Amino acid sequence: MTAPTTAHATPVRPARRVLESPMKRIGTALLVAVTGLVFVLLYGPLLVPITSSFFTVSHGAVDWSQPTADAYAALTRNESVLAALRTTLIVGVSAVVLSVVIATGLALYVASPEAKGRRFLQFVIFLPFLMPPIITGLALLIFFREINFERSILTVIIGHTVFVLALVYRTILVRLQSLSGSLVEASYDLGASRWQTFRLVLLPNLRGAMAGGAILAFALSFDETMITLLVTGTQSTLPVRLWAMMRLGFTPDINALVTLVLLFTTALCLVAVRFVAPVQAAAGGD
Amino acid sequence: MSAPDPLAGRSRAAAWFATFAAYVVPLGFILAPMTLFLAYSFFSVDHGDIVFSPTLANYVRFFTDPVFQPIFWRTCLLCLSVAVLCVVFAYPVALFLTGLKGRQRHAVLVLLLVPLLMSYVIKIYAVRSILGGNGLLNRTLMALGLIDEPSMLFVFNLNAVLLTLTVLLIPFAILPIFLSLETIPKALRHASADLGASDLQTFLRVTLPLSLPGVASAMSFVFVLAIGDFLTPQMVGGQSGFTFGRIIYSQFGTAFNWPFGAALSVILAAAVICAIALGGWAGTRRQTQ
Repeated sequence: MTAPTTAHATPVRPARRVLESPMKRIGTALLVAVTGLVFVLLYGPLLVPITSSFFTVSHGAVDWSQPTADAYAALTRNESVLAALRTTLIVGVSAVVLSVVIATGLALYVASPEAKGRRFLQFVIFLPFLMPPIITGLALLIFFREINFERSILTVIIGHTVFVLALVYRTILVRLQSLSGSLVEASYDLGASRWQTFRLVLLPNLRGAMAGGAILAFALSFDETMITLLVTGTQSTLPVRLWAMMRLGFTPDINALVTLVLLFTTALCLVAVRFVAPVQAAAGGD
Repeated sequence: MSAPDPLAGRSRAAAWFATFAAYVVPLGFILAPMTLFLAYSFFSVDHGDIVFSPTLANYVRFFTDPVFQPIFWRTCLLCLSVAVLCVVFAYPVALFLTGLKGRQRHAVLVLLLVPLLMSYVIKIYAVRSILGGNGLLNRTLMALGLIDEPSMLFVFNLNAVLLTLTVLLIPFAILPIFLSLETIPKALRHASADLGASDLQTFLRVTLPLSLPGVASAMSFVFVLAIGDFLTPQMVGGQSGFTFGRIIYSQFGTAFNWPFGAALSVILAAAVICAIALGGWAGTRRQTQ
């Protein structure tokens, strides 16, 4: 069926292409132009703080005459920024570990035949992801106040875990469901216990998804501002610190900090894309 | 029906853990706070103390006080405009992307999605540094001789919020449109061409209508993200760029009326649910036709 169609189409189409080529060319040019414009819109703004981080600023004006790394040197002496960086890393790592462990348990539970209230549980997990962060943050704020839980780094960790859980869960569940059920059955048939099956069969297969989910979760946690702003005590994370600094105005060390954070999140993001989309990455790498 | 368990104690611990993870965390740390939050919207405040008896006063206040509703609708309109603008920019990009193949397509897709994971606060700051009175946009316009002095049209008002949100949210619109363009069978376009339609006719009569579900979900996506955002309007909105999110925040901060703030948040959540439902409905309706 297909062969005659293509055979028939081949002589017709080149002729039409000649006829319509100016219009088609205008169309393609338009698409390229808009795509280019979007790239400028997405990346252009980021170039401003990056370039100005290498120059000195006095009275709001940038001195373009000679580049300097002064802003970066000042950053290494800025105690509040270093403290914020420490807090961010502690919160990120804790939230990632917690969310990967909980999401794995959750995915195993939901995938098991004896699970009850599966749809409802999924709905609850996805709530913080669907709702604007301001609602999640305020809900947690009220909750912590009502149960007399002092706001601290611990409340920030809980907030971040709740926020990233859905993403990690989803990543792991998709992988789990793509695993063949016979793999687990074979493990049981060969006399393995549930724990052995988990450790020797499921875990190695889920490792990639867990790593991908963990990186994504860390990237999200590293950037999370709204929830943190609401549930934090005295310690601020890097985005919250940046938020506070930016509202005061432009200084070179903000630009230096912005540049470093951007470099870090971009690297993180590229690694995450590699892990989460291994199929496409493999196709692109060939 | 699995084989007998030699490590019964351990597997019971594993099962216990799975159940714990499945119930305690979602119910204790997500559902409980959200429920409490909903309950708070029916409480009231008396001399700074919260009165725990149910009342509809907060909702009555929203619907009767002349201050809050206009801001709510203005914010909805703003976010709708952001959604439309994002789609206008995202559609050609998605179309361009479907024309690419293999490594090229992957590279452009990654480059378009990388900004999604970049620090949100930094992106707001970066856009503001361009829109500001002393920013790149104003300096360029002045250098071109279009304006004589820095224009304040693009900073600390609703225009600034609109432009910043659009720039930040375009990537979220590209992906759903790209995915829906991808699902259109090539055979349909070929058939259209074989039947004598021009490229423009094929696009208007075949490609565009079939990609509308993607446009609908892109719009609801962007709308939801825009209406829930607080950081952008706070950073670039100034006095005249007051949005609904900022009102909610002010109820928890300066006004210290948590129940009223909770009620306003419930209304925000309702708007979000409506937008998601509408996007989903528009998507499935098109697909079944």
